[in-house]
Amino acid sequence: MQPTLTVRNLTIEYATRRGKVQAIRNVSFDVKRGEALALIGESGSGKTTLGLGIVQLLPVMARITSGDILYRRQDKTGAPPLEIAALTLKGNSLRQFRWRECAMVFQGALNAFNPVLKIADHFRDTAKAHGALNGKSLEERGKHLLNLVRLDAERVWKSYPHELSGGMRQRVLIALALLLDPQLIILDEPTTALDILTQRNIMDVLQELRSKLDFSLIFISHDLSLAAELADRVATVYAGKIVELSDVQTIFKAPTHPYTIGLINAVPTLSGHKDDLTSIPGSPPDLVEMPSGCKFHPRCPLADEQCKTREPESEFAAADHQVTCWQWQKARGVLKSYA
Amino acid sequence: MTTVTRPTRFDLLTLWDRLKSNYLLQKIAQAIFVVWFVTSVTFFVVRAMPGNAVDILIQDLTLAGVSPEDARNQASLLIGLDVDKPLPEQYGTYLLNTLRGDLGQSYKSSGLKVSELIVQVLPWTLFSVGLSLMITFTLGIALGAIMAYNRDTWIDHLLSNLAATLDAVSPILIGLLAILLIGVTWKMIPISDMRGAMSPGMKPEFSWDFIADIFMHVRVLLLVYVLSTIGSWMLQMKSSTIATLGEDYVTVARARGLTDARILTAYVGRNATLPLFTRLAISIGFAVGGSVLLETLFTYRGVGFLLAKAILERDYPVMQGVFLITTTAVVFANLLVDFVYGWLDPRIRIAGGEQ
Amino acid sequence: MTNLTDTLSNLLRELIKSFKILSRNTMGMIGFIIIVTILFLSFIGPSLWPPEASANVDDINLGVSLKHPLGADFQGQDNLIKVINGGRDIVTIAFITGITATLIAVVVGSTSAFLGGRVDDLIMSLVNIWLTIPKFPLLAVLATVLKLNDVVTLSLLMALLDWPGLSRQVRSQVLSLKRRDYVEAAVMLDLGTPHIIFRELLPNMMSFIAIATINTMTFAIYQQTGLVFLGIVPYSSANWGVMISAAERRGVLYNPQAMWSIIAPMGAIVLFQLGLVSFARSLDEIFNPRLRIGV
Repeated sequence: MQPTLTVRNLTIEYATRRGKVQAIRNVSFDVKRGEALALIGESGSGKTTLGLGIVQLLPVMARITSGDILYRRQDKTGAPPLEIAALTLKGNSLRQFRWRECAMVFQGALNAFNPVLKIADHFRDTAKAHGALNGKSLEERGKHLLNLVRLDAERVWKSYPHELSGGMRQRVLIALALLLDPQLIILDEPTTALDILTQRNIMDVLQELRSKLDFSLIFISHDLSLAAELADRVATVYAGKIVELSDVQTIFKAPTHPYTIGLINAVPTLSGHKDDLTSIPGSPPDLVEMPSGCKFHPRCPLADEQCKTREPESEFAAADHQVTCWQWQKARGVLKSYA
Repeated sequence: MTTVTRPTRFDLLTLWDRLKSNYLLQKIAQAIFVVWFVTSVTFFVVRAMPGNAVDILIQDLTLAGVSPEDARNQASLLIGLDVDKPLPEQYGTYLLNTLRGDLGQSYKSSGLKVSELIVQVLPWTLFSVGLSLMITFTLGIALGAIMAYNRDTWIDHLLSNLAATLDAVSPILIGLLAILLIGVTWKMIPISDMRGAMSPGMKPEFSWDFIADIFMHVRVLLLVYVLSTIGSWMLQMKSSTIATLGEDYVTVARARGLTDARILTAYVGRNATLPLFTRLAISIGFAVGGSVLLETLFTYRGVGFLLAKAILERDYPVMQGVFLITTTAVVFANLLVDFVYGWLDPRIRIAGGEQ
Repeated sequence: MTNLTDTLSNLLRELIKSFKILSRNTMGMIGFIIIVTILFLSFIGPSLWPPEASANVDDINLGVSLKHPLGADFQGQDNLIKVINGGRDIVTIAFITGITATLIAVVVGSTSAFLGGRVDDLIMSLVNIWLTIPKFPLLAVLATVLKLNDVVTLSLLMALLDWPGLSRQVRSQVLSLKRRDYVEAAVMLDLGTPHIIFRELLPNMMSFIAIATINTMTFAIYQQTGLVFLGIVPYSSANWGVMISAAERRGVLYNPQAMWSIIAPMGAIVLFQLGLVSFARSLDEIFNPRLRIGV
């Protein structure tokens, strides 16, 4: 079966006052049918830009300078998929593509709803914009989805956004994302602004939805432990590039990129001692004045002359395990005890 | 709906808190308070202050040869209060009279009741000011939104500078300029058309002739009202729209694939307009204030014209009455705006509806 | 006391810095030059070009010429000289009203913001009520009853009527500043209210206060022109407002030949108002980084 989303050589530039900045640099990856791919990175790594790029909702100063994004909708019958080249879409077809094919749940859903419209109106607007359900069937489907995200559907349906808590609003947005049955859902830091219990609740809801419904997921987060719970595959993003990409087991058990290893060592575990926790020294690079060679070398304990001068190409550490590092073979052995 | 429960400890603070918690009640109480306050201030200025208007009237009458007693009687008759009674009692009578709509008699047009004078001219001001407010509000909002959507293009620069200029220049100067340009230099509209609310001999009736005639007379005044107030609306709407365009829910609405038309109206437009409603209060007061000058300039026989005339003739009962009525009108217009606002913004929607 | 001198020297440094930025802002610079020119002509001008004592029958209602760059009025007196001599009252009233109203507004607005709770509630309710009363009719009635005839009392009366709207803006400004880290830190460190107000709050509000003052000034100009036009405050001297209403009463509006005697004072007022507003707008651009990119 072909992947739901294929991204090839995507580059996104921002025009800033200090000059042009490449927020995403020549990125390629696939999202397979029904899988959950986690994009993990520090803030400023470009992971949100990547999400916005797929639905073409980038801010005005951003521009996609190269690359292809191919989306495929396919049903279970095995009929040939409907292929959409997302970057060629304009106007009405782009509008139709958004949410119907690919829904994006934003971070900070607190303000995701129009304060003067009821939740029901948000469902109605969305359905109407895509010529989908209306009237009774819309209400039934809306309430069914609200129940699915464990909300009191009768009450929430008639509520105004300000009458709901942050966690409730986030779940409403997830329900709304499911309304048109898209095959790809992008979740951008869906739990960031929420307290730990609400966060737990949302993660449970998402896992339940994944088991019940059929959609692919891109999960954008800075939190590796959340990714571990939900994702089938994990991509670590650094300075606008995917530096390591593999299935979740491999990433945690046998990571090869020093950055990924650093991220894992920064995650507290139940059994581990506090002393084992280390953070990665330094901070993400300034995108305007990017370091030469491998962009991670100023923070990397393994960096040598080659790392400082030449940027590594992506290579396969194993089948289905990509890594972009000169030292990956060394890193695997040496870096178990980082720092 | 909860029924009114009697507060066990009745004091001003609990009353205050109860008022604050109910939007509708709060606004009504506020409106009543303003009207009472303005009524009392006028009484104070006209009757109780040292060197007040009534004392001056009595003095003038005495100087004109009327015996002191007759002068006091005459003054009492004109203002509808017995000037020999103690002040608190006069205040009471005054409040009662005002409540009944009795605003005293004009000094100058003898025998004419102030209330009748006002009733004759009030419709013209309500018509011209109300119409201009509606035009300005709609046009200002549309232009402000256009400026925001085309931010930093030539059209935004042009409109922004125009709005700032119009906002800066006094209405009276815009009025004079309109007469100079439209009437004298370009000779587009005969100057006589600009004067008065309707042509001589025209009878108020519901006919096309009448409607055409009043619009012919009001058009330049209307233009001046609109020009002198639209600038601030445009600038306000522009900044409000820019702020709304940056809101998350607008981005999410785009991600949801809503049509541009729906986003512009229900998501951006409606939310960007909300803060402007709170400003409508100031704007109504400003327009009514401007009517004193502009109606005088265009000899448009409305309330403003009457007030200006009363001021020149030192006709205190008329001044007092007109001021009272205009303030009351503005206060109730604001009350109306508050209701509409409460209905438009669910976040402050009146408590007690569905609970 | 050191607080005050420190604040003043800080202010001076800020002013010099602001002026440097202003010199790069064309609109603001034009506005600034207009204001300075009008101030100069209104206060120094009369001693250089004193008012004409008598009428010139030959020049009545003359148009623009070399002898009369802005024409001559119904008495044959030169309009330009009259404009130069007629600015002092208007400019003075604008400044006194603007500054007094702003002072009251800053005191009331920041007190309200600082005390919060019921006091804040009460003050803001009263302010909101005040805002609904049509101010110009009230001013007109009061000025008539009080028989105001001198510049200072009139300015103070106008300031007394005009401050509430401003105080609402000051309050929200103080409230947003109060939440910033450095102010919160100063409160935590218990550096004392004077320190917080003079060192932390006021310097950060200077631009806002300047803009508010200027806006009140334009409004004061509007109000006093209106009062003069209605004949409520007949100044002895011939100021711009008196020139306009005198010309209007003589039917100059309908006499294209004599139009300059109304255009001259109108132009002076419009120029002053536009100068003030473009200066205020440029201040806004300079101090408000969000706007700086735009306009």
